[in-house]
Amino acid sequence: MTLQHYLVISAILFTLGIFAVLTRRNAISILMGIELILNSCNLNFAAFSRFVTPPEDISGQIIAIFGIVLAAAEAAVFLAIILAIYREFGSIRPNEVDTLKG
Amino acid sequence: MTVSLISLILLCPLAAFAVFGLLGLANRRFPRQDYLSTAAMLIALACSFLLLREVVPEPETHTVNWVSLGSVTFSMGFYLDSVTAIMLIVVTLVSSLVHIFSMGYMHGDPRYPRFFAYLSLFSFSMLFLVVSDNLLGIYIGWELVGLCSYLLIGFWFEKDSAANACKKAFLTTRVGDVGMFIGMMMLFTKFKTLSLYGEGGIFALAASQLTTGDMVWLSIAGVLIFCGAIGKSAQMPLHTWLPDAMEGPTPVSALIHAATMVAAGVYLTARMFPILTETSSLVIAYVGGITALVAATIAIVRFDIKRVLAYSTISQLGYMMLAIGAGSYVAGLFHLTTHAFFKALLFLGSGSVIHAFHAMHAHGHDDEHEHDDSDAHGHEHNEDSDSGHVLGSEIPPDQDMRNMGGLRHKMPITFITMLIATLSISGVPFIFSGFWSKDAILAGVLGRAMEWNSVHHYILFIMALSAAGITAFYMFRLIFMTFFGEPRNQEMHDMAHESPLSMTVPLLILAVLSLPVVNTLWFNAAYVKPPPQPHLHAPAHAYIAPDTKGGTGLAFSLFGVSEAVAAEENAGHDTHGTHADDGHHGHGPAHTIAMVLSICVAGLGIFLSWLFYHRRTLSAESVTTTFRPIYDLFWHKYYFDEFYDGVLVALTVWKARLFAQFDGTVVDGIVNGVGVVTRDILAAFTGAFDNRVVDGIVNRVAQVTWAVGGRIRRIQTGAIQTYLFVVLAGIVLLILIFRAL
Repeated sequence: MTLQHYLVISAILFTLGIFAVLTRRNAISILMGIELILNSCNLNFAAFSRFVTPPEDISGQIIAIFGIVLAAAEAAVFLAIILAIYREFGSIRPNEVDTLKG
Repeated sequence: MTVSLISLILLCPLAAFAVFGLLGLANRRFPRQDYLSTAAMLIALACSFLLLREVVPEPETHTVNWVSLGSVTFSMGFYLDSVTAIMLIVVTLVSSLVHIFSMGYMHGDPRYPRFFAYLSLFSFSMLFLVVSDNLLGIYIGWELVGLCSYLLIGFWFEKDSAANACKKAFLTTRVGDVGMFIGMMMLFTKFKTLSLYGEGGIFALAASQLTTGDMVWLSIAGVLIFCGAIGKSAQMPLHTWLPDAMEGPTPVSALIHAATMVAAGVYLTARMFPILTETSSLVIAYVGGITALVAATIAIVRFDIKRVLAYSTISQLGYMMLAIGAGSYVAGLFHLTTHAFFKALLFLGSGSVIHAFHAMHAHGHDDEHEHDDSDAHGHEHNEDSDSGHVLGSEIPPDQDMRNMGGLRHKMPITFITMLIATLSISGVPFIFSGFWSKDAILAGVLGRAMEWNSVHHYILFIMALSAAGITAFYMFRLIFMTFFGEPRNQEMHDMAHESPLSMTVPLLILAVLSLPVVNTLWFNAAYVKPPPQPHLHAPAHAYIAPDTKGGTGLAFSLFGVSEAVAAEENAGHDTHGTHADDGHHGHGPAHTIAMVLSICVAGLGIFLSWLFYHRRTLSAESVTTTFRPIYDLFWHKYYFDEFYDGVLVALTVWKARLFAQFDGTVVDGIVNGVGVVTRDILAAFTGAFDNRVVDGIVNRVAQVTWAVGGRIRRIQTGAIQTYLFVVLAGIVLLILIFRAL
């Protein structure tokens, strides 16, 4: 398993995440897409830490762990916002929440 | 010493006024303004007496430079000679007595403190005028007394007649003042100074620089300055304001319009004595003589006690002018002095009578003076009631002599003192001052007539003599109508009473002052010398009697005054270079003739008056009917007021209408035309420009912005995924671009 394998998998994950964010009709699905994107990033950090930087430098892996924590916090905030939107609009479909339309 | 005394004399009354003025700014009153003003005047009076002792033969001048304008410097200063000292005594003495009198007369007036403050201001102005050593200072004092006169005539300004009278006084004297100012400017352009005395003064320069060719110019300047005196001293033809000025309170009439301010014109003329030429002297003498005669004839037919006295004042002022014009400088000033006292006494006495009558138709003084014509005791319709009303001819009942009579028992002090003054003004010989001063004038005029053999002066002498007789007549008419006979209005008579002490004491003092012995105390002590008149030359045909001076001087040498008059004659001769001084004993036959004639006419006047108004052997009514046209002439005061109303006032009103019409048509037309042009043409054009161009640009900008905004706003869909897509597309694009670079 070389660095290229990891990067390919990461790219596939990122692309799937972007696709989900742009196309899903459900806010929860969009959240899941975002999680995919974040995890693809974490995978990249870990991979670069293992294959590129010297073994004693583990800052890439640390950042990956930070990323996981970040994703957890972000999910909590996101879910809170979705709840608020649901109360306001009675829906969590993003295309129906368009009050800021010009 | 003299400077500090003069300063004190000036500052005391000014300070009394300043207290009133400064507290007035704070809207407060000094509780005893009357005491303050009176005390100030008494201090000034004491200083004047002290000053009398300081007068030395050589006049003193104390001058400081006031303002410098380029090469011209105006100075301010005091000039002290015997005349100044005498005038100071006269002004402060009469003013003090009037202050005291006013405490009784004005008691209870709502503007009582203000009255005293005005009196103080007037006293200051008059004293300033008297002591000034230059024409500018005299002019300042001159206008200030005019202002005070205006304020005090109009003191009861609720009365229309008083308000009109003060305006009339101010405007009429203004006519003379313009002439005076032009005269001053003529002297100023010639000599570049307004100082009178000293080496650089007008008199010295006029004596040294002027040639015979300048005499016409100098005469004109002299007559123009005399115009100021015509206005202020109420000489013909500007005399009409003085009778109307009687609308003011009676103490004001006594102080300003009998004793002091109106005498300022005589004083000014006396001060200008050294630059009088033969022509200007003659003009002055004629104005004075005509005034003396005409005013006396008007006084005969007046029924208002104060107006009789007003015309009497005009007449006596004419006497003084005549004296100065005829070169009898000392006699003129002496008459000024004696007249100040006995005329002030007459006015205060009439004030006492009016005061006695006031009490009956006003329980308090507060509302007096407000119901003059509408009273129940209206005018009896006598022969004059059909004469039509001219300004000031309505007589308040308490001043109408036809309501008086028999008052001598009711008001003994007022009666006795007024009788003394009347004897004095009538020229009853020897124990009354008026005889001496009037006689000195008559003698002076006759003396000049004989000396110069001048027809003019003979005419003037006859005028003066007739006026003297008429004066005696109308003054005794006043006394008989007021104090003798039966009361004509029993109701008013019953209420009449003697005035309080504050009013009778000044009367008594003034009565003493009407005796010549008292007058000579200061008049002789100061020893008045007439200044030389370098521009006055005896006419070529003058007849100088070789020995006119040996006549009898018996009566004249009784009193020091006669010495001054005698000395004047001598001095007069000296200036003409025709006679050697033969001491103080020379008296021409002029004196004897004048004295005998004046006693005769005075006696005749008094006798006629007694026949008409006491014995009633002769009936004034029948004489009136017989000489109806002459009576009408006198009654209408020679139609001066009618003339002024009908011609000058009407002309002014007509002119005002003309200008109003000019204003209404031409000026308003131009203004309205400009308005129309502006509104209908310029404004229409700029309006259109504004509406089309400016608004057009603004609207277009707005419309374009609106349209563009309307299109562009569709970009903002509100759909979050669209935004994300765009962001992603942008990133991809950027990556591609950076790749390409």
